[in-house]
Parts: sequence; structure tokens; C-alpha cells
Amino acid sequence: MNVSYELPLDDAAYSFGFLDEYAKREVRRTILKAICIPGYQTPYASREMPMGRGFGTGGLQVTLSLIGEGDTVKVIDQGADDSVNAVNLRHFVELTCPGVDTTERTTEASLIQSRHRIPEVALSESQVMILQVPYPDPLVVVEPSEARRKVMHGEADYSRLLTKLYEDIVQFDEITISHRYPTRINGHYVIDPSPIPRYDVPRLDNSPALILLGAGREKKIYAVPPYTRAEPLAFDDVPFRVEDFRDAQGARRPCARCGATDSFLDELIDDDGNKQWQCSDSDYCHSRLAEHDTIPGEAMS
Amino acid sequence: MGYVAIKGGGRAIAGAEAAMEALRCAEGEAGTPLTLAAIEQQLRLLTSRVVSEGGLYHPRLAALAIKQMQGDTLEAAFALRAYRSTKPRLLDLPVQETRQMRLIRRISSAFKDIPGGQMLGPTTDYALRLMRLDLADESPEAFRSVSRRFLDGVADNDLPDSYPKVVDALREEGLLPPLTRSREAAFDITRDPLVFPVPRSAALATMARAETGSLLAIAYSNMRGYGDVHPTIAELRVGYLPVVLPHPVTGEPVEAGEVLVTECEVVAMYEGADSDGPPTFTLGYGACFGHNEVKAISMAILDRALQKGMRDGPANPSEDPEFVLLHVDGVDSMGFASHYKMPHYVTFQSDMDRLRTTQDKADAAQSSQGVES
Amino acid sequence: MNDPMTLEAPRDVRMGVWQPPRQQRAFRGLLTAFSYPGRVVHLADDGESATLLLLATLTDGASRLADPERRLAEDDIRRLGVRSSAVESADFVLCGAAHPPQMTPRLGSLENPEQGATLIIQVPALEEGIELHLTGPGIQAEQTLRVAGVDPAWWRLRDEWNVHFPLGVDLILASERAVAVLPRTTRLTVEGVH
Repeated sequence: MNVSYELPLDDAAYSFGFLDEYAKREVRRTILKAICIPGYQTPYASREMPMGRGFGTGGLQVTLSLIGEGDTVKVIDQGADDSVNAVNLRHFVELTCPGVDTTERTTEASLIQSRHRIPEVALSESQVMILQVPYPDPLVVVEPSEARRKVMHGEADYSRLLTKLYEDIVQFDEITISHRYPTRINGHYVIDPSPIPRYDVPRLDNSPALILLGAGREKKIYAVPPYTRAEPLAFDDVPFRVEDFRDAQGARRPCARCGATDSFLDELIDDDGNKQWQCSDSDYCHSRLAEHDTIPGEAMS
Repeated sequence: MGYVAIKGGGRAIAGAEAAMEALRCAEGEAGTPLTLAAIEQQLRLLTSRVVSEGGLYHPRLAALAIKQMQGDTLEAAFALRAYRSTKPRLLDLPVQETRQMRLIRRISSAFKDIPGGQMLGPTTDYALRLMRLDLADESPEAFRSVSRRFLDGVADNDLPDSYPKVVDALREEGLLPPLTRSREAAFDITRDPLVFPVPRSAALATMARAETGSLLAIAYSNMRGYGDVHPTIAELRVGYLPVVLPHPVTGEPVEAGEVLVTECEVVAMYEGADSDGPPTFTLGYGACFGHNEVKAISMAILDRALQKGMRDGPANPSEDPEFVLLHVDGVDSMGFASHYKMPHYVTFQSDMDRLRTTQDKADAAQSSQGVES
Repeated sequence: MNDPMTLEAPRDVRMGVWQPPRQQRAFRGLLTAFSYPGRVVHLADDGESATLLLLATLTDGASRLADPERRLAEDDIRRLGVRSSAVESADFVLCGAAHPPQMTPRLGSLENPEQGATLIIQVPALEEGIELHLTGPGIQAEQTLRVAGVDPAWWRLRDEWNVHFPLGVDLILASERAVAVLPRTTRLTVEGVH
């Protein structure tokens, strides 16, 4: 019986970036292969992180393998920097990466980790976008076996996925995929672009910035390299369509807060049961308010 | 104010933390904080479960995790795993010899008597599950005297500390195929991703740190009829396994310490098609850190089922390596179940957009039909 | 040190390549080079070798390195902790620009194309020599890369190895200090050759 031993205190100390250097090296090797084979779900031995699988552990392992002194990190969830999960991940980066700055401004960030959104402001070559992925494989809806899916991906055989989309059209006269829209990268691999809305899918196409996607629980990393074709699957007669933010009269709804008519909107229901629309990208909304220095939402109330 | 405040996530998290802590200490003035030693010893099966599912043999850290996570085994095992991510792997362990285990318990259900004898040891298998009301108000004096009285008069050398293994006897008789040592290095699930098909060592390693309930559920499906292992426990042993490492300088094997493990070997009905040689029984193997008998038995049954599935193709979920191995990890499954609690505004907005569009189309189609009729 | 059993790092300045912060910075350089094929990235500082720095950044006991021409010092291989291997089974192959390997490196498989090798070709110089015209992912319109001293047989072999995407090899051209990368997706024409 080991009744007398104590916990060594240095056991509780964590190194820069939390992960040990061997884990980082493996993630780094995986990222480079993922870039060389655009859209291919590159397997890696995902480590356990101190937050739940599904909370962004895949994205976080990518971020922590990239990050170093001089970096400025932005973390968003649902477009917002102050959403609970974004706060939690940013706090973890601050805790384990001394010397790294964090920001809420898209334009100031060198690394942007996000769940479910790509910022409204166009990204640049000096930025890397890291998306958290819950389900990396778009073929899972038509083929449960990973071994068989890997062959289909290798052969770029997406006939069954297209059939599924076609069946949708027959039944509903519309493709019913709302988010995680299957997108073909460089004419070969079809990816699950993570649960970004369809609104953000065109931002993957020919992006100046590298986009990395990390699935921690499913242990995959994949990439959309810069200046690479990203095409949502569609048919000639039923085109790909982004979310519709027009009102019954056909006018584009503005953000109730900053008035923007060119951003993805969250639909809110207030205490009186009235609907309001507001920018999902909080930094975009704040920046517009700061520029115009007026708050239409407050003027109304 | 017409819109929801965007700020406040940080305050909410701090508040949640404080509320958790307040509940942990809710006994107030009357309470005594749990010591790690008390958790490790008095809740030893809980500690066992956490070191096993955490995949890190550190009972004291496991006790800390149990205390911190307020008894949630999934969370405690998870904390141990996350801690493990920060530590480098120093070397490949050579094969460890469970024949050398210092046993506290070993039984066989295959034979009435086995070389070295049956040793029931610490188990509740034959205990009546009646409430022991005396434990509700236990006196510290009585508690402290139990261990002393138990060992009183027992000489250290009265007990043999290792026993021969039952499967060795079966092998000698030719009832089991002879032992072949795999030439392949063991698959390291902490370093290499599972890309199917995977070798048996990957399956064993995955199951050794699997969540007990998940493993049991799938093994149980096999026992009930979604499979045909029909196992007999050749031997179940619990004890302390000496860990032998090569000395960093001389390379000579040295004993670095010992770990509590549970090992189970099940024998299943023979199959002629297994090899060209004479028919023999087949073996399923289970082992894990800590004292976890149900887990070791479940693992042994699934090992047998998976070997069959790898050879003939799966006829049942429990024989399908991808199905079993990708769904038994507690950290993965619990994390994913929890993540649904996070905000999904953006995806739900997108869902609503699709539903409204298809509803509008359906309405339009219906009203145009109405005009026609 | 990438070998975990080597406890202490020597204090020589040249030994910076073994330090985690240095490797992190080097990785970001490599990330740029892989993301934007054909761009020359100045990886190494004074006194450092780009080849050793990138190997220290990417390899350890979990990777296999082939060095058929013995371009690395024994001591450096030991410090890397990398497993030595034949060209056909290596994750990383170190070669000279004048000597294309006799063996086919690993190309990966349809199911696991990431198992295609990474070749590090040590070249006399980047930003001088013949012009390569590059197109493909990571390149807006066209990228020009100048590289000196590469046996033209290399480009033919690369074409052969990369003919069945997603199978193929990825090339890192390394001069003394700088690198440029040609992933398997980059289409390449050599100046004057059609």
C-alpha cells in the first residue's frame, strides 16, 4: 500500500502550449501533409485536452502546435469572442502560452480559431484560420464504414453523396443541407467544412489565408490551402444558395444593432416575443458601431 | 433594450466554477474535506476505474481527480488523460510477465482445482447485498483496528506471491494452441491513429482504457446472443505486476515498481477453421490497470469476438472492430454528448432557413393545386 | 533534443535548433513554404543549417529517415532520435540535387496518401539558376522559382511519382539557409523544356 507518498508539485506544471513537444511535432507533420493533399482527412493521434471532446480539442491542438511568441490569437464561437466556449478556450491559451497576445479584432489576429463561423472581414496571407470540426467526413451519411469511405475519397467517388442530394431535391424541391455543406477542394476531395453556415462556404474559395480544420475526437486534420478552389456540391438546375435574410417584402434585413446588410445574422426573440436580427460576428458589429458612433438599436428603444 | 447582451461569457464561467465549488463544500461547518489517501483506499474500486479509464497508473492523481470532479468517473478519467497528454513517452516497454504478479485474488471457473489453488481474495461475489447499517455510523477506533486485526499473526512468507497460470496447463495438454510471440511491435494508440483494419494489439490497448459501462454493454450483447463466444473463465487474477524496465545506462532489466492490474483469460469453443493443425479451444484476453473484474471479463470476451470478426468479417456489432473500438472510449463519447450543450445558434439559424424555404415551397405547391381543383 | 533519453541540451549557439521555441518559429516558416509553393522562405539564422533545423522541427523517434548519401553527421542523427530506414520505407528522405535516388520513395496509397514521403533535396542555391514555373493550390495565377544545381532527371522522376494523385511525394528544396516547397499538387514547367 502506498499510503505515504505525496504528489510531486512539479507534476502540476504545464509546458508552453500544454502539449509535449512530441505531440506538437506529430501535429506539425500532419498539418504539412494535409496541406499537400488538399481536403484529405489526415489521421493523427489526437491527444486528450483538458476540455471536452467536441468543445474544440481538434482546433486547439492545431492552434497550440502553431503558436509561439509574437502571435496574436483570436478565438470565436458562433461568431462571438465572448461566447462561453470562446472565453474558455482563449483563457486556456492565455494560461499555457505566456508571451502570446489575444485579441477580439479580426484584423489584428495572426491565428484565428473558430467554431461555426468564418469572420466577415476578408482574411489575409499573414493569417491562419483554424476551424473546429465535430464530424470530418461528409460521406458518413451514405457509408458508415470508414475503411470503405477512405477508398471512395481516394477515388473521388462521390456518386452516392450526389444521389443523396438529388433525392432531397425530389422530395423537397430544395437541397436541405443547412450547414456543414459538402464542398469539393481542388477538384478532388469533398470535405465537411465544419458546421459553418452556407453563407461562409464561398469564403473557403481562393482564400489568401491558409485554412486548417481539426477534428479532435475523430482524430483528423485537413486543410484548404490558400488560393485553392472550394466548390459546394450542387446541380446546374438547383444551384447552391446561402441563407436568405430577406423579409416578406424581399428587402435584406439589417442588423438591429449596427445596421449592416452584408453580414450573417442571428435571429433573436425578445421578452415580448418579437423577432430581431443581429450580426453573428461580434467584432464586425462592434467595429461598425465604433465607426459610425451611433446605435440604431438604442435609438429605437 | 431590444437585443441580447453579447458580453458576459467570462463572468458566467467564473460563476459556474464558484457554484460547483460551493456544492462540493455544502456541508459547511460540519464538514471535513476528503483526504486523497481516504479516496484512494476507501474508494479503491472507484480509483481503480479511474486509473484504468484514464490510461495512466497514478492512483494518487486519480484520487485528486475524483475529489475535484466530485465523483464523476468520466470526468475524473478525462482529467487524468489530459494530464497524460503533457508527458513525453520515454521508451517502449518490453513485454511484462503476468506470471510474476503478486496476487491478491485468482479464480478459475474451468477447473475445480488449479495448480496453486483457487484464491477467492477480496470480492463481493458471494456477499449478500444487504445494507450494512453499522457503516452508517462507524467509530474511528473500530475502523482503525480492522486492518491490524486482519494481518495479525500472518507471517510474510506464509503466502506464495506468484502462481502458475491455468492457460499454461491447457497449452501443455494441447487444448489451446501453443504460444507464439508476435514479431510486430505493439501498436501504440497514444501515438498512432486507429486506421482500420488495425492489429489486435491496437484493439487490446483501446479496450484496456475503455469506459467500463460501454465495454460491458457491447460484451453483453455478445453474451445474450448477438454473437457466439460462450466463454469459460480459465483464469481471472488480480494483483500487483512488477514493472521491469531496461536501465537507462546499462540496459539491464530493473524492477521500477509495481502496478495493480486485473487480468482475465477466457476460453471459447474450438473452431476447426482456425488453422491447419488439430482443433483447439480459442482464447480471449483482457487486462487493465486497477481492480476492475467486470471490465477485464468484458474485454476478454470482446477480444475473442473481434478476433473472429477480423478473420471472417463481422456477423454482429461486437465482432466489428470499427464499431467496437470507436465507441467504447469514455473521453470521446462523453465529450461529444456534452458538446451538444454548447451554443449552436449559427447552425440552428441555418436549419431554420432551410425548413422555412422548403415549407414555403410546399405551401406554394399546395395553393397552386387548390386553384387548379 | 528530440531524443527523450538525452537529458541536457548543450549550450553551443548552434544548438538552438534543438530548442522548442526555435522549432516553433521554424515550423511557421515551413508552414508558409508549404502553403505557398515556390516561395523562398529564409528558415535558418546565422550558424544554423536549414536542413538540420527542419529535420529537428519535424522528426523524432516516431519518424523514419533515409539518408542514403550520408549527408548528416552521425551525431545529429543520434540527437534527432529519428529511426534510420531505407529509401523505400522512409517518411523523410534526404538527397542531393545532383543525385536522384535509385529507389522509388513511398508514394502512399489511395486510402492513405499521407504515407507518401517528404523528400528534402539539398540544393546549392535558391533564387538563382534555372526558372521553374509553378501553378496549383497555394499559387495565385503563377509562381516562379529559381533553383541552381538540380539534375533535370529529378523533375522527370517527380512527374512519374506524382502522376496518380492523391499518391505522390512532396519536395522540400533546401539551400544552406532557405527552403522552397513543391507539394505533389504543384504543376511545374522548367524554363526552356516543354
